[in-house]
Amino acid sequence: MFALENVVQPTTNGSNPTRDLNKSLFRRKRPIIAIWLAALFCPPPPAIAEPELTPSRFELSGFGTLGGVRTNSDDVEFTRDQSQHEGAKKSWTAKQDSLLGLQAYFKATESLEFVAQAVSRYGPNANYRPELMAAYARFAATPNLSIRAGRMGVEFYMLSDSRLVGYSYLTVRPPVDFFGTLPFQYVNGADFTVTAPLGDGVLKGKAFFGKSGEKAPIQDEFLNLQGNPMAGGYLDYQSGNWQWRVTAAQTKFKHELPPPVSTLRDSLDQASQLGFPTAAEAANQISLTDTTSRFYSVGGVYDQGPLQIQAMLSETRHESSIYQNSRAGYVIAGYRLGQFTPFVGYSRNRSKAKSVSSGLPDAFPPFAQINAGLAGALARTHIDQNTWSLGARWDFRRDMALKTQIDLIRGEPDSVFLYPLSNLNVFSLALDFVF
Amino acid sequence: MGKNRLFLAVLLAIWPAAAVWADLVVVTSPKSGIERMTREEVVYVFMGRWRQLPSGIPAQPIDSPLDSAERAQFYRQLVNKEPSDIRAYWARLVFSGGARPPVSAQSREEQMRLLASQPGAVAYMERSVVDSRVRIVFEFSASAP
Repeated sequence: MFALENVVQPTTNGSNPTRDLNKSLFRRKRPIIAIWLAALFCPPPPAIAEPELTPSRFELSGFGTLGGVRTNSDDVEFTRDQSQHEGAKKSWTAKQDSLLGLQAYFKATESLEFVAQAVSRYGPNANYRPELMAAYARFAATPNLSIRAGRMGVEFYMLSDSRLVGYSYLTVRPPVDFFGTLPFQYVNGADFTVTAPLGDGVLKGKAFFGKSGEKAPIQDEFLNLQGNPMAGGYLDYQSGNWQWRVTAAQTKFKHELPPPVSTLRDSLDQASQLGFPTAAEAANQISLTDTTSRFYSVGGVYDQGPLQIQAMLSETRHESSIYQNSRAGYVIAGYRLGQFTPFVGYSRNRSKAKSVSSGLPDAFPPFAQINAGLAGALARTHIDQNTWSLGARWDFRRDMALKTQIDLIRGEPDSVFLYPLSNLNVFSLALDFVF
Repeated sequence: MGKNRLFLAVLLAIWPAAAVWADLVVVTSPKSGIERMTREEVVYVFMGRWRQLPSGIPAQPIDSPLDSAERAQFYRQLVNKEPSDIRAYWARLVFSGGARPPVSAQSREEQMRLLASQPGAVAYMERSVVDSRVRIVFEFSASAP
């Protein structure tokens, strides 16, 4: 399905209307996706005998955010999540939160539909090149069972598949303490959803599996996530004003971390040949390849008219010692007053260091250097911070919302992930829209 | 009576945008195979959580025109939500591959045609325009909020 992207070549003819449209939408970036979309979803010629009452079979829609953010410090860079290469400092930047998404929907039959979605945002490559976030077919086998195949948003946590649709939630961005550590947006694979009424509510179960196709920037290098198998599932129960969801998901790494971690592993391996087998063991413990990371979470939403409260707790466990296991949680509460919905949020994330010993004596200076490198690598993902968020959403006209938010991030001195900080205030303004 | 008047006065005071509550009812085609729906069932069908009528027919909810007072009032009465809340709700589902929003009828005629042609169609309208082509399955006036 995705091989098409490589097969369909953009025409060199400058007057191609699809290309021109794409140019204006995505700042002269790859026209391939637009052509691909057009080819796949070009509406069929109107059938003469088509029943006039069928809902529209083809639909083009979109979402976007124009957002500005700044902090009170030039020492750290504030990013929205791990997929961003550069972060915000003291001067206003539109990079972190601005994005534009375009979605094509085509209903082939009552039970078969196709969706494709491309998003242009400031991503891992430090540019706005549009990415195909979704391209799937959904088949509703029965009212209880539907199957999707293709590329779709990851549901490692409740709401994680709509992180980019700012208009759909209250805050400027999803809580960074909680969602910021997730470097991936989509999975290439399939999912199965079973839905059934139960008691006064509706029970939904979903299982998904597939492979990642993304990468995460680490300083000037990348951690390649491509081909990492992903699998997971959730149980969701919605009744009255309540919604509950329990999720478990996992991914297996197929690639190693870039330098300096990869060079450290080499050094450990070399040292082991000098008669210190524990060093090779340590190199193995901080290796990422073929280790699994597991993500567990439980979330609840209470929604009663003007009042909405949502909360989530998560636990992340990594087999590899290079990543610290962590626990995170957040709660956001908002109350609508006319067109304004003020909200308050609190989030926290804390990880626990793992101990790995190289067995190399510090007395020998080159070994001491390796040991220091190892200690640094193990502390690399230590996080111990919390955030208070305060803001308001203004629904000033249909399909548009203006938001402002202040985040007070407070971290322990040893907290270095996603950014080293002890005290950072973040100011945000955003205009969210759908069309 | 006095109670109702007080209720209306309070309502007008806290909610100046809507001058009068229309008497909305939820209707289906007479071929739907159902006589009544509960408030929960109406919520599930219109919010896309579970779209099957108790008779087993797939439910197809029909919204009144976008920006119509009827549509705004329906969701205020059903889930106590403003039109923008409902738009935000659907934005999340539509862009993450969840349920699709109800079909939007552009006029009363179109709404009636949909109700007549689809046994699973569910719509809402003022009681005064209900005729023999549709069947009332839920009344806000007869149900506690």
